[in-house]
Amino acid sequence: MEVVEKKQNGICILGLLGRLDSNTSPEFEKKIFEVIEDGTKGVIVDFESLDYISSAGLRVLLKATKELKRSDGKIVLCSMKEYIKEVFEIAGFVSLFPIVSSVGDAMEQF
Amino acid sequence: MRADRVSLELKNSLSELSTLGSSLEQFGEALGLSSKILFEISLSMEELFSNIISYGYADNAVHWIKVAISHEDEMLIIRLEDDGIPFDPLKAEEPDCECPIEQRKIGNLGIHLTKKFMDDMVYERQGNRNILTVKKKITAT
Repeated sequence: MEVVEKKQNGICILGLLGRLDSNTSPEFEKKIFEVIEDGTKGVIVDFESLDYISSAGLRVLLKATKELKRSDGKIVLCSMKEYIKEVFEIAGFVSLFPIVSSVGDAMEQF
Repeated sequence: MRADRVSLELKNSLSELSTLGSSLEQFGEALGLSSKILFEISLSMEELFSNIISYGYADNAVHWIKVAISHEDEMLIIRLEDDGIPFDPLKAEEPDCECPIEQRKIGNLGIHLTKKFMDDMVYERQGNRNILTVKKKITAT
């Protein structure tokens, strides 16, 4: 897995490539917590090039959003494949994160 | 070549997930499974396998987990066998997927997803071994 970081108007965009599973989640966790500790209040996670997610990946997102909420920040998710969105629906995560269809739409959430 | 059955012996280590994943992928591609069905199977196997290695063993020794993948008519059948502590994932508590974020916990979410994605799951304890047989309908949609 690869995490590509971009900044735009003070918002941090993390693009995920490949698989977010039990092996790769610690790397994503490290990255997103670095961004939060740097004081970023707005984080967009771009799922466009993500092919796979398991509960290990959901765990990191839950932990990160709890952390950001404490400082009034938020995470917006975008560009998910249909079968990945289904995982979020079954897990009841669609009520925890705004999920939109593009990075552009995600920017408008801030 | 189309194998009707694949048997693996995996160590209780997360590094074995890639072996498990690529075996499932090869088996699924040979059967012509859609990427969605293959994804649901891969996710379920990761959840079950990582559960065994995270909670199954009290010691630090190497344990072997047997995985057999086969298919019968319209069903893909996966049998997982381990010598960990008795654990019936079907009896695991259902996570609360409705409660507010502050109280949200990740525990058992993997099993919850697995139950949703698989069509049948049977648990047996035989001697000192857990045997879990899961089935997934693989009818082309």
